[in-house]
Amino acid sequence: MLDAEKLREDFPLLRESKVIYFDNACTTQKPKQVVDAIVEYYTKYAACAGRSLHKLATKTTEEFEKAREKVAKFINAKKSKEIVWTKNTTEAINLVANSFKFEKGDKVLTTNLEHSSGLLPWQRLAKKGVISLDFVLCNKEGELSIEDFEDKIDEKTKLVSVIFASNVTGTVSPLKEIIKIAHENGALVLADGAQAAPHFPVDVRKLDLDFMGFSAHKMVGPTGIGCLYGKEDLLRELSPFILGGETIKDADLRSYEPEDIPHRLEGGIQNYAGAIGFGAAVDYLTKIGMKNIEDYEKELAKLLIEGLLEVPNLALIGPKDWRKKNALVSFNIKGIEPQDLAIMLDENNIAVRSGMHCAYPFHKFIGENKGSVRASLYFYNTKEEIGIFIEKLKEIAKTLG
Amino acid sequence: MVICIVALVVFSVLGIFSMRWREIAKEAFDCVYRMATFRPCITKLDQRIKSRLTAKLMKRAPALARFTYRYFKALSWIFTIVFFATMFYSAYGIYNLVVYGSCEPGSPTCGIDQAMSVISCYETQIVYGIILVLFIVFLYFGYRYLKFKE
Repeated sequence: MLDAEKLREDFPLLRESKVIYFDNACTTQKPKQVVDAIVEYYTKYAACAGRSLHKLATKTTEEFEKAREKVAKFINAKKSKEIVWTKNTTEAINLVANSFKFEKGDKVLTTNLEHSSGLLPWQRLAKKGVISLDFVLCNKEGELSIEDFEDKIDEKTKLVSVIFASNVTGTVSPLKEIIKIAHENGALVLADGAQAAPHFPVDVRKLDLDFMGFSAHKMVGPTGIGCLYGKEDLLRELSPFILGGETIKDADLRSYEPEDIPHRLEGGIQNYAGAIGFGAAVDYLTKIGMKNIEDYEKELAKLLIEGLLEVPNLALIGPKDWRKKNALVSFNIKGIEPQDLAIMLDENNIAVRSGMHCAYPFHKFIGENKGSVRASLYFYNTKEEIGIFIEKLKEIAKTLG
Repeated sequence: MVICIVALVVFSVLGIFSMRWREIAKEAFDCVYRMATFRPCITKLDQRIKSRLTAKLMKRAPALARFTYRYFKALSWIFTIVFFATMFYSAYGIYNLVVYGSCEPGSPTCGIDQAMSVISCYETQIVYGIILVLFIVFLYFGYRYLKFKE
């Protein structure tokens, strides 16, 4: 079983400060192992990968590609070349949106639960007339219905872009069923895995998933690095929209021969330190065990939701059943603006997020036009922290609500 | 929003001594500037002041915290009017003290002129000094803001 207290020792910020960090859906804290891996790159072998042949460059290339292998293994991708480095999930989705060979009349299906990064790239393509955009609407609790996907996916649907786990409600999409329906209709599926990959085991092969983007910084890794997973043949089909160093095998003045995947999709010098840090983060999570993380987070979710339901005047966004959620809860307290509540909690050393959480359509859909407060937990959060959080909320709600 | 006007004055003075207050003064200036140009304030400084103040009060006086939170806008207006009224009367008194040697010339109830008449020249210098510093601070933020806009 996971020992959160012991694991917290690896996190300098958690060890040295009194803050209760409940903003993990935004970004997570970094363990010493990840920081050390990055420092080691910068202090011991900083060089370019895949270009020069000296020892430092060779070491960088080795570590850079090793990190890719680790990330591939983490989600059970078939080959490491199915991992393309990006800045983050947003860039991964944009990479597909800008590189996928759409034909006029192709339909992209998405949902109203999406993060802005899973919505705006498609909106832009639709405005340009490249695709037609259609939506599956979730219910007021943020749950997506399979029947709606069955109705909406047709022969014109080229791609279904769907959030794997919501960053507002904490609900997990029925991805396996969605993929099945999409594939039966000849459509591909792109999952926004930003809130999924860090919290439970993801097996892309078992899911038969076509594309998935996720970010390192949401899973104890550094900021500025993420990746796009794509099936090998599908990645080959993408037409790179950033060309430059390392994306080609050969070039003359009027033409070029592209490099193989994944390098053809990774133009220019890469974030080596970030990728190596990402690899270290994956090692760290693998050592703990993703199943252990999932089980522990379920315990936290149960405690958190049961506690929140006792807070007077509190309106929970999403299902009240903790079994249907990650350890992530958005809520509002009647009579208190979300931003005010977040600042008051901050005054008590509790860090939560407030606002729209980059999910404007969903907040408008449920009538929460000023947004909500979000508490998102990770494996290093403790039950004691939840207790303090709930008590503080009760105090605020009783005083001001 | 109106509290930003007070915040601008207060934090501009405090900003002379600390970078921390200078940042807040800058935000307050931005808010006041936007108000002056009939645009909504987007700094959320008032919201932060309100929430932090409420959170601090909640630890000691929950009832006062509730009152502050609910009536913050009205309190802001009252505070701002009182602040400027006090500033006006203080400035008027100081002006009288500098020019006539008494904060309220001709009034037998004004006690300050008796005691201050001896040191009125020092007072004058202090007042001029404060005005000069405030003017420099205002120019500094104005310059920084315009440069930022460019």
